[in-house]
Amino acid sequence: MYYAYILKELRHHRHRTLVNILGIAVGIALFVSINAVSTAYQQAVSLPFKNLGADLVVQRAEKRAVNSSQAGPSMRGIRLPFSNQLLSTDDLDKLRIFPGIDAMAGSLLLWDFDQGGFRTIMGVDLSQPSLGPVHIKEWLAKGRFPDKKGEVVLEKHYAKFHNTGLGDKFTIGSRSFKVVGLLEIREGAQIASANIYLPMADAQDLVGNESKSVNLVYLRLQNPSRLNQTKTEIMQSMPGISVVSSDAILEVMGGISRISDQFSLVVSLVALAGAVFLIIKTMLGNLVERSREIGILKAVGWTGGDVQKQLMGEVFLQSLIGGIVGVAAGYLISYLLGYLSIPVTTPWEVNLLPAFAKETGAAAQMIRLPVSFSAGLTAAALALSLLAGGLASYFVGRRMAKMKPADILRRL
Amino acid sequence: MNNKSDILVGIDLTKTYGELEVVKGVSLAVREGEFVSLVGKSGCGKTTLLSILSGLEHPTHGQAFLTGKEITGASEDELALFRRENVGFIFQSFNLIPTLSAWENVALPLFPMQMSEAERRRRATELLDQMELSHRLEHLPAALSGGEKQRVAIARALINHPKIVFADEPTGNLDTATGDAIMAILNHLHRQKGMTILMVTHEPELAKTADRVLRMQDGEVLS
Repeated sequence: MYYAYILKELRHHRHRTLVNILGIAVGIALFVSINAVSTAYQQAVSLPFKNLGADLVVQRAEKRAVNSSQAGPSMRGIRLPFSNQLLSTDDLDKLRIFPGIDAMAGSLLLWDFDQGGFRTIMGVDLSQPSLGPVHIKEWLAKGRFPDKKGEVVLEKHYAKFHNTGLGDKFTIGSRSFKVVGLLEIREGAQIASANIYLPMADAQDLVGNESKSVNLVYLRLQNPSRLNQTKTEIMQSMPGISVVSSDAILEVMGGISRISDQFSLVVSLVALAGAVFLIIKTMLGNLVERSREIGILKAVGWTGGDVQKQLMGEVFLQSLIGGIVGVAAGYLISYLLGYLSIPVTTPWEVNLLPAFAKETGAAAQMIRLPVSFSAGLTAAALALSLLAGGLASYFVGRRMAKMKPADILRRL
Repeated sequence: MNNKSDILVGIDLTKTYGELEVVKGVSLAVREGEFVSLVGKSGCGKTTLLSILSGLEHPTHGQAFLTGKEITGASEDELALFRRENVGFIFQSFNLIPTLSAWENVALPLFPMQMSEAERRRRATELLDQMELSHRLEHLPAALSGGEKQRVAIARALINHPKIVFADEPTGNLDTATGDAIMAILNHLHRQKGMTILMVTHEPELAKTADRVLRMQDGEVLS
């Protein structure tokens, strides 16, 4: 292979070279952007769980949901949410030793209704510092997270609305607490987003929970790839238990997230096929234009293989450049799309708000698509661009091998 | 082979395209170091016969031997390798690669061979120097005159130290003075270096400069 000849050919036929490079670049850019955005969608959807360090959220449905003939629930004072009930000690023991569980943390979610409306209170398990709502201590804007009874952290906007600041006294029910921190709820925190956070023991006292139980359990798996299997196993062995993962968010959202997931591969392959088609078409057109050159090369002693190698060198270089340009353009498009925010809807089971607020705008949170660079996707895109070039040069090479120098030179 | 000194032999060579018989049972021999011209009117089958004898094309019938090797049954790639090692070509339309410089065009047959860039360039430069084109090494064909292009083509034909040079109307695209200069180079190659040359031309005056003239008419060699 004569490299200088390759470069000179490509430079001399700028228009042709540009068309080939752009053809591949467009296909690869589509491939990269579709896959990057699709992955970002998946990540956005899993963000609420990722923010808690959890793979699964477990709870037991509220008793009334089983027997709806009972009287309606009270909407006064501090109480457990309507949607779930306290998990029994037996439930917690089973979950703790369940196969494949790496870590477990609980929280106690309470609602506090008063004449002015309602507020959500989250009792946090401080013994498990990297799992569950305690994880959001990383978002503290001021102060610290509670480390003993009698201390609370307030959500920043809630605190501002109630003119409460760091060090102030804050009343919940009939008890007084000291505000030790203010935190800013960030995107993707809706399954742990409350107005007030306090130590678990305080939350249990507030609701008169003598069994010292919780109503939400967060599980981290040893092997996240077994998520669906573990979820099914838990539900089968513990009837009445609700187990939720990020898949539930995807199901709730449906629409583009599902289309993106299901069709990204198909669209990618179509883009690739388009690139191969374009380069083959251009190169077959080139063959007519370059038949004189091929005839000369063969006449002076180049074998079909020699000519094909030279041609493949040209295609390889164009494919590589097209691939690199395509990857860069694909990521550029993806990052621009990353400025868009998508509404991530919280599944009903893990929505911390009362039923009347679940359908409001607060139930869905806008999350910016977390587009990120992927070495695997980049490598796959470059490999595909070279594959497109390889396929193109294979088909063109077959045509070229059949060209006889005497036939070509006779036509000149 | 009938004779050890015959470098090129054709026996009963026939070439047909469909119903059209272009070369009709031609038999001929060219001796080593001989300059033979094949003369005839346009369309009489000269170029087709040259293509068969040089291994560019297979005959429909008959045998061709070049440097003692039968080339008529060889594959396309075998023929290409054989041409690379034994044959030089000079074409009427020069057939230079427009994107390559003069020296690269000369070195074109060497590109597929295991050889350093420096060696290729040295050999090409030496030949272009002999053609009095050492000042044109880096020029593209578009920047060369017709005579210069044909001298580059002659240098290319010689780069692989061929045993025989096939020239197809080498002065056909040149003015008289330039054509004479090209013929002088071919005669020099033949007389001074003992190069075997088979030249196709439709000009009887040019043909006369060869050792032997073969006349072709309607696909047959008359003399």
